Amino acid sequence: MELLRRTFIAAGAIDEAGNGGLVAVSRLTPGTNVLAYCVGLGWSLHRWAGALAALAAASVPASLVIFLLTMALARIDRYPIVRMALAVGVLVATLLVFSSAWYLLRPYVYASVLTRTAVIIIVSGALLVAGVTPVRILLVSAAVGAAIGGRMQAPEVR
Amino acid sequence: MNPFVVYLLLLKAIASSFAGMGSLPQIHQDFVQTRRVLSDDQLSQAVLVGRSTPGPVGAYVVAVGYFAAGWPGAFAGWLAMVTPALAAIPLFVLMQRWLHVPRVRAAVDAVVIASAVLLLSSALRMTADALQQFSLVFLGG
Repeated sequence: MELLRRTFIAAGAIDEAGNGGLVAVSRLTPGTNVLAYCVGLGWSLHRWAGALAALAAASVPASLVIFLLTMALARIDRYPIVRMALAVGVLVATLLVFSSAWYLLRPYVYASVLTRTAVIIIVSGALLVAGVTPVRILLVSAAVGAAIGGRMQAPEVR
Repeated sequence: MNPFVVYLLLLKAIASSFAGMGSLPQIHQDFVQTRRVLSDDQLSQAVLVGRSTPGPVGAYVVAVGYFAAGWPGAFAGWLAMVTPALAAIPLFVLMQRWLHVPRVRAAVDAVVIASAVLLLSSALRMTADALQQFSLVFLGG
């Protein structure tokens, strides 16, 4: 994201205010934020053609690599050495998931909004323990957040 | 598994999350628990492949789609990943009207916090599975 910001600001395609708007929109768009940022950037430059070109450029190469890697993995994971590497790799992947969760939570863990954050954590945690589905947990959390109100710091885009 | 169903399930998971990995709890629920087309091990491998590749964090859904339905499933995963991004365009229009409303911002922030809680629960589940795999491979059970 930072590289995109620097590149397009240096090229004069957008300014800091424009980038701020893109960040806000990408934060509010469901799914992968960086893709929404790229779509917004492409749209602001060349409307639909720009949006689709940016979306393809941001998603196709990585998806192809993942597809090929997964296909290869599915064929070789019966070998003991591969299974050993996978066992270690999966352990590392779980650490990365923990870090992703902390990355999401971190901007909301500071003194002035700690109570509001704690309320949302307790509500969503209780619903999770009660076996409520993720979508419903998110909807209830949104309703609780709107009811509590107040400004929380917007997290950085990833 | 029908690739169209893969697309719909992944789209539901992605459209209800606000970060690349935020879709993981719903994907676990739909693909591992409810429909049983993926094992915990395969979901962990999908995350591993996705995280070890440059590009969007959420691209691991391509691997999820492949495990569920082969290459058509991988394509469905890619399509599900890019579909919500197109919502950024109408949001540009809506943003100027709604973004400054504190309750709207608070609701979005609450969704992000709840996503983190759900992700932590998925991480705990993955850790248990990863430790089990680790002991099976290295300690023979």
